[in-house]
Amino acid sequence: MSELLHGPLFAITLTLLAYQGALFLYTRSRRLALFHPTISGATLIALALFLLQQDYHDYYKNINWLTFLLGPATVALAVPLYRQLHLLRNMAGPLLITVTVGAVFASASALIIAWLFGANHSTLLSLTTKSITTPIAITVTQDIGGVTTIAVASVILTGVVGITTVTWLFEKLNIQDDRLWGFCLGLSAHAIGTSRAFERSAVAGAFSSLALCLTGTFTAIFVPFAAQWFM
Amino acid sequence: MLAGFLTLIGCQLLGEFIQRALDLPLPGPVIGMLLLFIGLCIRGDVPKDLETGSQRLIELLPMLLMAPAAGVFFLGAGFADQWPAFIAAVTLGTVCTLVFCGLLIRFLHGRIVSNRNNRV
Repeated sequence: MSELLHGPLFAITLTLLAYQGALFLYTRSRRLALFHPTISGATLIALALFLLQQDYHDYYKNINWLTFLLGPATVALAVPLYRQLHLLRNMAGPLLITVTVGAVFASASALIIAWLFGANHSTLLSLTTKSITTPIAITVTQDIGGVTTIAVASVILTGVVGITTVTWLFEKLNIQDDRLWGFCLGLSAHAIGTSRAFERSAVAGAFSSLALCLTGTFTAIFVPFAAQWFM
Repeated sequence: MLAGFLTLIGCQLLGEFIQRALDLPLPGPVIGMLLLFIGLCIRGDVPKDLETGSQRLIELLPMLLMAPAAGVFFLGAGFADQWPAFIAAVTLGTVCTLVFCGLLIRFLHGRIVSNRNNRV
């Protein structure tokens, strides 16, 4: 009986069940960012593991089979990037400059603030990928020696902060062009920002997903080189 | 859909192979993504199998990320002193990034628009 509770079958069932529960909560809350399936699902899993007194690391090993899919899912992001490429026409210059400078700014600002607050080495490494979409963030963080969990948490919190502040901030800055609005949100707040941008308009959403893909690709290329250079 | 999945996993394998062969610091899946992107640009369209296969996988992402995210609740005492730095970096950093990118893109875009107007 107890070996059944500690095997992959149970762990995967628990994960799929938590996902269904998370989807239910998310639609019930009218797509409130705080109830994003990744957040509510993670809370449900943690709660179940706690109640069943299971070890998190054993559970994580048991769902290896699922997390393996993050690799091909990262490769799959090439398809939306290709699809959104035509948006670059007419404004390639401003968009490409904003992506490269903005992506470096996103990593550097987080690193400097964390360093000022006395973060340790591994926390710093895990924060470098905070502005990029989670599958890429996970692969990069693992490679440069950060802590996956902290990287994921920072990515999600970044998304939530981004979508809760963007409307007010961009009203103050007087940025109302849907293309610029969506692009900045996708750059700073990846997939969570992109889903918010689609709520504003289809144009904002398309530019947001273009920014998401470009930022992810660029950060994935520059962070490992920068990390290697600093260590 | 399975043919599409084969393309994705094939690109990843090739990416991992290139990473090891050339000793690149880039993760294998990211190299795989770049390879697939170049392939799509050369081909000029997305095969139907690949379209459905990649869409299914991307839709599953929130679920694939739940388990790593759940780890936040099990970081233990070792991370306790890191929370203030973590929260400050993420919240302040994100707001700064939004403002910085907003101002930058408004400036760059404004220059193009005024250039065009000057020419006309």
